[in-house]
Amino acid sequence: MNVGDGKPDARSWRKAYGLALSLFTVEVVLLYLFTLRFS
Amino acid sequence: MNRLDYLVLIATILAIPIYGLWRTRGSASLGEYLKGDASIQWGTIGLSVLATQAGPITFLSMPGQAYESGIGFIQNYFGQPLALIVVCAVFVPIYQRLKVYTAYQYLGERFDRKTQLLGAFLFLVQRGIAAGITIYAPAIILSALVGWRLNLTIWLAGGLVIIYTVVGGTKIVSITQRYQMVVILIGMAIAFAVAVYRLSPDLSFGSTLSVAGKMGKLEAVDFSVDPHKRYTFWSGLIGGFFLALSYFGADQSQVQRYLAGGSLKESRLGLLFNAAVKVPMQFFILLLGAIVFMFYQFEKPPVYFNQPAYQRAMESGYAPQLAALQTQFDDVFTQKRAAIRAVSSASSNGSSNERDVAMTKVRELEGQARELRNQTKTILQQAGADPKSKESDYVFITFILQQMPHGLVGLLIAVILCATMSAMAATLNALGSTTAIDFYRPLIRPNASDHHYVVAAKALTAAWGLIAIGVASFASLVENLIEAGNILGSVFYGSILGLFLAAFFIRRVTGSAAFFAALLAQMLVFVLFATTNIGYLWYNFIGCAAVLIVAPVLQQTIFRGTEAHAAG
Repeated sequence: MNVGDGKPDARSWRKAYGLALSLFTVEVVLLYLFTLRFS
Repeated sequence: MNRLDYLVLIATILAIPIYGLWRTRGSASLGEYLKGDASIQWGTIGLSVLATQAGPITFLSMPGQAYESGIGFIQNYFGQPLALIVVCAVFVPIYQRLKVYTAYQYLGERFDRKTQLLGAFLFLVQRGIAAGITIYAPAIILSALVGWRLNLTIWLAGGLVIIYTVVGGTKIVSITQRYQMVVILIGMAIAFAVAVYRLSPDLSFGSTLSVAGKMGKLEAVDFSVDPHKRYTFWSGLIGGFFLALSYFGADQSQVQRYLAGGSLKESRLGLLFNAAVKVPMQFFILLLGAIVFMFYQFEKPPVYFNQPAYQRAMESGYAPQLAALQTQFDDVFTQKRAAIRAVSSASSNGSSNERDVAMTKVRELEGQARELRNQTKTILQQAGADPKSKESDYVFITFILQQMPHGLVGLLIAVILCATMSAMAATLNALGSTTAIDFYRPLIRPNASDHHYVVAAKALTAAWGLIAIGVASFASLVENLIEAGNILGSVFYGSILGLFLAAFFIRRVTGSAAFFAALLAQMLVFVLFATTNIGYLWYNFIGCAAVLIVAPVLQQTIFRGTEAHAAG
């Protein structure tokens, strides 16, 4: 789908998506720990 | 509100549009008017996307939602980061490559004209009504509590937005949203700090959170698979994913924000910024509501936050019943405050048994207080003073007006109006662009000059602004406005998303199959909406799934033999 993206560019975007996904996972884990601590 | 508040309020809401008008002075080409220019960078795009989604409801209703039901609503946003990644990877490159002004132009390129018009039409109907609700919802609450005239509030806020959006187009919307969002974030951060500062000195901040948690206000994540539970990790992740994918991928009010960037990179970074900050931002807004809840455990709250409705009932001959409930409420409040203090002292003494006994008492008294509020509401309904918006929407604004220092009150009212103006500007900009590009240009004046289309887009933006104000003027006919806005989106989003996903991923489907599948899906959603009471978030999924299932079936049967001409 990503016509126009060079291969190195596509690779760096995949890393960016991975980073965003990891950040979201960390956010959910922190929220879960918050829930455990205060419920 | 005093003079200082009005000074801060007027200066804040006028300074940003005036600066935006100065920055965008001079004439713009059609491309610049509809898509901004290449100088708009990812930070502005990110804040603009954030401001478009937030709207006044986020800042008025979310703290009240947490006050009432806890912070579990945060889970509704869990699907959003995933959806934004999909939008970055799939939707944005196609829109950028085809250099479209509106998302629905892509449907025209990939399918045919009638499918483009259907997608654009569904968007216009849904957003046209939603724009009216965006301006009406805060206006009704501000007019009730601050005493402003409702229609004057609607016309002043709406008129200002129409003027600057018509004059400056997409670029001014992006620029003003950036500064409006900065004001909103600063205002909410100050409100958070003041709310924490105003908490009772009887409890430490940690103890306050512990008690709030034990009163059921801090359950952020719930992995339950019980379908009757309203907010769970799973419903937020799955339902929220489809809602966010429709909203960010196929709603022109958002598509126009991230296409304003000079490049694919700026658009993607702006969206990934949202993927990163949305959940933490909503968490702090909801936590603010939980802190306001704890503040009102020590400072007596009104038995009913919508005081104008309460006063109307008092004046309609229901004063004796309401006074009796007020006396009971005061008594319950005093006992509850003592019980919370007992929880705190038992915790510091290390006596878990005493703490548990006191906590049970707190929960019991909280149940009684809730019951008294429900009885008050019933009396208000009997008195005909029943308000059109939820009582919890009045919690945070009451806290602002009664507990914040002067100056800050003006700033926080400005936050609500900035949120209203930024969401409405994005919507009007998208409605005007879609009408000009998807309807006016191909159907009415196909070969006019760029300047002609800029003038047409400006006139259509102004016309949509007036329609939004008209809808707002009649919005009092709709019960529970905020819910109405959410339901409206969910009813239309599913089939629009289905059209886009069929375009991207089912290459053999042609325009006619997609068009009739979307019509059938939309009818199915209307029938379900009229005959069942399933949760409205599911309409997103049902409408989308119906298009994705029916379109290939129609292609293989009725439209077999017609050629696909995929542009994606």
